[in-house]
Amino acid sequence: MADAIDVQTLGVRYNLRLTRKNTVRESFKNLARRREGPGHFWALRDVSFRVPPGESLAVIGPNGAGKSTLLQVLAGILMPDEGAIEVNGRISSLLTLGAGFDAELSGRDNILLAGAFMGIAHADMLARMPGIIEFADLGQFIDAPIKTYSSGMNARLGFSIATAVEPDVLLLDEVLGTGDATFRAKSQARVVELMRAARAIVLVTHDMSWAREFCNHAILLEGGNVVAAGEPGDVVLVHEERSEVRRAGGHPERLPPVVDPGLLTAAGIPGSAGGGAAAG
Amino acid sequence: MTQTSEAIRDAYRPVRPGILQTLRDTASEIATRRRLILYLVRADLKKRGADTVLGNVWWILDPLLTMLVYVLLISIILRTDIPAYPLFVFCAILPWKWFSSSVADAVTCITTRERIIKQVNFPKVVLPMAAATGGVASFAFGLIPLFAMLVLLYRDHLTVWVVALPAVALVQFVFSLAVALLAAAITVFYRDVGNVAGHVLRIWFYLSPALYGADQIARLTADQPAIGVIYHLNPFATLFEAYRDLIYDGHAPDWLAVGLVLLASLGLLLVATLVFRRLEPAFAKVI
Repeated sequence: MADAIDVQTLGVRYNLRLTRKNTVRESFKNLARRREGPGHFWALRDVSFRVPPGESLAVIGPNGAGKSTLLQVLAGILMPDEGAIEVNGRISSLLTLGAGFDAELSGRDNILLAGAFMGIAHADMLARMPGIIEFADLGQFIDAPIKTYSSGMNARLGFSIATAVEPDVLLLDEVLGTGDATFRAKSQARVVELMRAARAIVLVTHDMSWAREFCNHAILLEGGNVVAAGEPGDVVLVHEERSEVRRAGGHPERLPPVVDPGLLTAAGIPGSAGGGAAAG
Repeated sequence: MTQTSEAIRDAYRPVRPGILQTLRDTASEIATRRRLILYLVRADLKKRGADTVLGNVWWILDPLLTMLVYVLLISIILRTDIPAYPLFVFCAILPWKWFSSSVADAVTCITTRERIIKQVNFPKVVLPMAAATGGVASFAFGLIPLFAMLVLLYRDHLTVWVVALPAVALVQFVFSLAVALLAAAITVFYRDVGNVAGHVLRIWFYLSPALYGADQIARLTADQPAIGVIYHLNPFATLFEAYRDLIYDGHAPDWLAVGLVLLASLGLLLVATLVFRRLEPAFAKVI
């Protein structure tokens, strides 16, 4: 069976000169400054891993390590500047909550709009509508414009849509702690259910118990590189040790990138990993 | 280790598709996402009508009120001698409302969808496409007061030539779409475009034969051939005259000139599509 996700020496580069605050004036300034220092930085570099069907991968790491960028590349939102990624099957992403919704439209219209953005056939979306509405449990608010929703309701609707389409590959970014206790329990049950249905999941989380409980594998990202890969328990331990050093105000020793963690079966803990042969 | 990863990097270097492939991809993306375009247009219409007492009646009133402003200014205060001036100026206001609202929507269509662009992978070309299509609705609604005027007030201007309106409108659509694609893509990188667009549109309107006819400035263009050349480079010089030929004068437009505008618009659309597709991968990084 083909891997659900195959990532080879992925690199994503951001151009520091092109930002949202760009104006013509600044570009002239930049033109003059062209020779000074690198104008870009690598948000991800040399990231390689594979996720077989039915597996789930936890991506952990400090803020700014490239976790969200990795999810965006997997979702096809960002193009790799280097390397290649292959994702087999339908992808659904819950990258930022409640996003993509049109605040003026009703919950019902937003379900259809979200489906159209995700490229799901209209008939298919209509068929799934009752399930989505039931799971989101918004009551009569489903017909109200979503600008009237609380952030929790927004998140519930987003989660319901993203998981109702039965994705082959589900990408989740920190959204499991959504809503009240009841909805949290429900959403956990849904994620476990999706995982059982032999679908791959990539979960970005700061909640280490989620990584340990629900994922078979984990990678630790730091500075855009995979620096540890393997059993979630082991990787979490490495991450926690290093976070402890950071909390104390120190700088943990720089780990060498794990260039080829392969199928994520070997515990790629520092010392035992790195320098792996290129996989075909 | 660095050598190995360098070798792997080379093996996986991304490649950029050629021109024909890019055009084919774009066409198939639009075809498969036509429902998304429809939703976006409909959501936009719903929103514009939703918060006002009169709702969609504004779509009809809006061009009429604009017309009244110009009639007051040009016909009554400046005392122009153009007969049936309300109809004369309406022939230009109607297509212009369509064009200017398309461009105004296109300028913001990518930047305001920042969150969804960062959440879902979809062909971004649907956004300017929806902006350009949404303007068609304002044009279609504007046809209601146009025909009301023709039937009730200016029956002697009404000829069978009005059935040719869709042909001229199609040419305008191609041009609007090209401008929308360029405006949308460039605004992502230069927010200045948003500030400039309103002013450019206003001066563009006054430099086009909207409030006046081509014959009013015939003397100017005859004395100064350079001005004449620039004047005729403006696609709206041809388009406004063509609309007016069909509605106001009731005879065939200069089909050759309209055809040339169509050819130029198709060329611009080709360039705009390629520019858009070239910049598209960077949208999610920049906004």
